[in-house]
Amino acid sequence: MTYLSFFNSEVLAIFRRKQDAVNALVFFLLVITLFPLGVSPSKEFLQPAAGGIIWCAVALAILMSVEGMFKEDYNDGSLEQLVVSGLYLPVLILLKLVVQWCAVMLPLLILMPILSQMLFINWEILWVLILTLIIGSPALFLIGTIGAALTVSLRRGAVLMLLIILPFYLPVIIFSTGAIGAAQVGQPYNGQLAILAAISLMTLTLSPIMAAVSIKASVN
Amino acid sequence: MNWIWFHKLGSPKWFFQWANKWSKFAFVIGVLMLSIGIVWGLGFAPADYQQGNSFRIIYIHVPTAILAQSCYLGLGVAGLVSLVWRMKMAPVFIKAVAPLGAVMALIALLSGAIWGKPTWGAWWVWDARLTSVLILFLLYMGVIAIQNSLDDLQLADKAVAVISVVGLINLPIIKYSVEWWNTLHQPATFSVTEAPAMPMAMWLPLLLSTLGMYGFIAAVAMWRMQTEVLIREHRSNWVKKEILDNGI
Repeated sequence: MTYLSFFNSEVLAIFRRKQDAVNALVFFLLVITLFPLGVSPSKEFLQPAAGGIIWCAVALAILMSVEGMFKEDYNDGSLEQLVVSGLYLPVLILLKLVVQWCAVMLPLLILMPILSQMLFINWEILWVLILTLIIGSPALFLIGTIGAALTVSLRRGAVLMLLIILPFYLPVIIFSTGAIGAAQVGQPYNGQLAILAAISLMTLTLSPIMAAVSIKASVN
Repeated sequence: MNWIWFHKLGSPKWFFQWANKWSKFAFVIGVLMLSIGIVWGLGFAPADYQQGNSFRIIYIHVPTAILAQSCYLGLGVAGLVSLVWRMKMAPVFIKAVAPLGAVMALIALLSGAIWGKPTWGAWWVWDARLTSVLILFLLYMGVIAIQNSLDDLQLADKAVAVISVVGLINLPIIKYSVEWWNTLHQPATFSVTEAPAMPMAMWLPLLLSTLGMYGFIAAVAMWRMQTEVLIREHRSNWVKKEILDNGI
């Protein structure tokens, strides 16, 4: 096995299990729908709240999709094979994440213009929203991987993973909604974007290693 | 500096005997200072010129809030020690201290709410510090949850170590992000570099009760760790001997 063949097999696996990506997308739509129904469908509420609503829904959808990332591999034993394959485990995890990111985020980004109309977001703000999603979502995936790796041996680890990972998502949500809010009142939002990028880069260095440690402990 | 005493603490047996000696000492000193500090603060310190007597809750609020943060710092450091050097006592420390930290955070939150009602007019406001203590509490609950959910002891130890380290790195980010997001709370009470802003008669009891709280928590943590050591090492000879000689 090489890194390339692993990547190819991951892409193939994602294509064969389209339902997972679709599930994340539907879940995202459902969470979005809750807000107009639960609070108010008026433009006065939705327009300022849209950034926060979308980001909360994105965070939950990403958690959902990341949670099952290692489960199948753990159950059929291929996770063990990855550990003993002689390849550097953090890189394998990173490759897996890249595939996962594309499978979840690309459809989401394509969906964004439609959603922004439903939540009364202007076109200029939509651009900021997409920017925060592209810059910030890698951090969510990377942090979520640690939780997925820790709870992979549990049959019902989803709630537990939500408990331990969601607090770490807060800075990303704060800064991305901060950027959107700043853009909505016409202020510069470069600073928030820079911090988002910094968080993503920092998790990029840290979390593959931490996830590898957790996977090694789990398949022991 | 000689580090042998520290490395020796990595051995459960040595720690057990060391804690036997020091836990009672820490407990007595801690409770003494805590009770002097609280009685002094609640009964004799001058009332605040703005907040009147309601400020006195500071003598409970601040020590617990500081302890909640210190315990988390300890958790993170222990997690790092556990991952890097694999010392046996580090996971024991995490397991023993996490619930204590959670209780401290909870008391800080509750006392803060009680204090907030007369001063701000609301039990809860979404202020930066309140929110970050709430998040701290949630982080503690996550650590406790994962410790209790994983049956395999080694895996559980690894998992809490990973989460503690990740939490320690993330804590400043969370703190600052929340601080930028909203701020209403008064600035920090204790500062190492600056002279205290409050008069000595208010500040001294606060210092006493904070230090006392440290001693108290240290003692309780040592006892909890001793119990955990006995559970984990119950097959070894020294535990059998210890129990036969000294009882439980």
